[in-house]
Amino acid sequence: MNASLSAVLRLLLRLAFGAALVAASLTASAQSTILVGAPLPLTGGLAPEGVKLQRGYDLWAEEVNKAGGIAVGKTRMPVKMIYYDYQSNTPRAVQLAEKLITDDKVHFMFSPFGSGATKAASAVSERYGVPTIAPTASSVEVYDQNYKNLFGTYTPNNTLTEPIAEMISKNAPKVRRVAILARNDLYPLALAEEFERSAKSRGFTVAYFEKYAIGTLDHASAVTQIRAAKPDWIIVTGYINDMVLIRKQMSDQNLRAPVLTMINGPAYQEFIDATGPLANNVTSASWWHPAARYTSKDVFKSSENFTQLFRAKYKIEPDFTSAGGAVAGVVLQMAIEAAGTVDRDKVRGALSDGRFPTFFGPIAFGPQGYANSYTPPVFQIQGGKPTVLFPTEIKMADFRLGL
Amino acid sequence: MLYLQVLINGILLGGLYSCIAVGFSLVWGVLNIINIMHGSLIILGAYAAYFAFTLLGINPFVFVPIAGVALFVLGYALQAGVINRVMGAPVLITLTLTFGLNLILENAMIFAFKADYRKVIIDPPLGLIEIGSAFVPRDRLYAMLLALLLVGGLYAVLRTTRIGRAIVAVRMDREAAALMGVNVPRIYAITFGLGALMAGSAGSLMSVIFPISPLTSVAFLGKAFVICVLGGLGSIPGVMVGGIALGVLESFGSLWLGPDYSTTIAFVLLLALLMFRPTGIMGKRGFE
Repeated sequence: MNASLSAVLRLLLRLAFGAALVAASLTASAQSTILVGAPLPLTGGLAPEGVKLQRGYDLWAEEVNKAGGIAVGKTRMPVKMIYYDYQSNTPRAVQLAEKLITDDKVHFMFSPFGSGATKAASAVSERYGVPTIAPTASSVEVYDQNYKNLFGTYTPNNTLTEPIAEMISKNAPKVRRVAILARNDLYPLALAEEFERSAKSRGFTVAYFEKYAIGTLDHASAVTQIRAAKPDWIIVTGYINDMVLIRKQMSDQNLRAPVLTMINGPAYQEFIDATGPLANNVTSASWWHPAARYTSKDVFKSSENFTQLFRAKYKIEPDFTSAGGAVAGVVLQMAIEAAGTVDRDKVRGALSDGRFPTFFGPIAFGPQGYANSYTPPVFQIQGGKPTVLFPTEIKMADFRLGL
Repeated sequence: MLYLQVLINGILLGGLYSCIAVGFSLVWGVLNIINIMHGSLIILGAYAAYFAFTLLGINPFVFVPIAGVALFVLGYALQAGVINRVMGAPVLITLTLTFGLNLILENAMIFAFKADYRKVIIDPPLGLIEIGSAFVPRDRLYAMLLALLLVGGLYAVLRTTRIGRAIVAVRMDREAAALMGVNVPRIYAITFGLGALMAGSAGSLMSVIFPISPLTSVAFLGKAFVICVLGGLGSIPGVMVGGIALGVLESFGSLWLGPDYSTTIAFVLLLALLMFRPTGIMGKRGFE
């Protein structure tokens, strides 16, 4: 009996010692690893975008760790991404942002997808003083709270609308009447309003401006009304499923116009696959395109190299959302390396003051926290391929009229 | 001409809505199960049609019966193997069970097919029929006609066949049907299978019209709910009337109030009917 009792005690002691060793090694690893938290919409309505964003984060983390980690002073620290799925539910994204900061003790954060969720979750990172990179928030309304910890890598919406309006104004003098159909959601609506401003400031007549609800299954009536407004330039804002359905329903009613602009959607290969020939001559704009030719001092070294690495890992072309995920990592890495520490105050300072030459373009943050340092490309689907029209340095073809 | 086009849009949409809702109504009416999986079964049918089209070149219109039969087998197995075990339980239990099964099916589809939106592109396109300055897209027209044919077919099965009569008998009085020698659990399984058959067939038609993703299932389920209440629960003519009424109402609502309110209209209508006419437009119960 005594012998078996002492055997049990010995076993317990061994277990306790083992547990202490594991705990000590975990603590050591936590101290030597940079933890970055990212709530992602991996299920629910925004899942396609969430997956794209995650691919960008993962590629960046993989490349950084392959190179030995981020240079922090004289040492190199590997990166670990911590993800939670917020199911495309913004309040859940806010809860998970808090969990990442308080439970998982992340050093830095990447914000959830889109302007609405970013704005909601930014209050949490501001409260805890955690520098947060927003890779997919372009509406200026996100940055109007004077937060010190929010850094958006997208330039504001008018950097998409102004070049398109200017291009149409110059190349299509007969285009006068504009119809705008916008998804009633923070970013698509803000973008549509920006389009309205850009169009009106150039003397276009906005003959139709309507919103459609999130989750609309049929756009036939809206298309009928747009047809009745006889526009020369149709602008539709929303997300890819809306764009696919609206483009198809435009064709169902033989609605044609010299210019059709859709954002977001045409930048994704799925839009071209799902609409086939109807994708041709649709104009769009996004913050990055594989045709970009930036050389950089980041882990990817150039836009072309990023595209190649992405293609090798995922067997598909990168789009601006995936590239946006990767550049969030790149900017954070460059700021940590410039600060030489993972101290949040110093990294925040480096983010505010730095100018980062990345594969995505040169990124520097203005006083409100969003990037104001590069020109997003305008493109048109020509022959089933996105073809860059602007800026001229990476222009691939001339703008075409007609559908 | 604007109104004619809006009316055409509404009728075409309404026919598709009827097909979306009829299986849901059948299962609810006969089994007293609110089948939360119904939207996902439609999407599964749509994916089957999509892959049959892209990999084997089978036209989704031709694939409708194949998708229906495949989904019938799945539905029958689910009811016989899983749902029959809780048939005597309160409605909340079956609701929770189908909710759980839906989570499994939806996430399995996200895993297998990814969440990307896909669509069948018929090349060359089927084109349009012009009526004055209004247009009728042929693909929507054919899908709607096939949808109504399916709904009519189901009605005929329920009225004229032995199994159909047994389903109606179970719907009217389960105990009496059992005393008359009807194998009630088997009828349950057949009914759920028929509900899934209609969902699969509808999905095959939807793959031509709507972009599909596992995430769109909830939109179809929401419409099915409204149509069932609108037309009268468990009534097939009611589902046809309810579907077309919803399509036309949404279409004109969108014209008069703006597209932003087209989905709101459906739910306002749902609330109004629940308050003032809970039996629906047709005001009938059952399949008699």
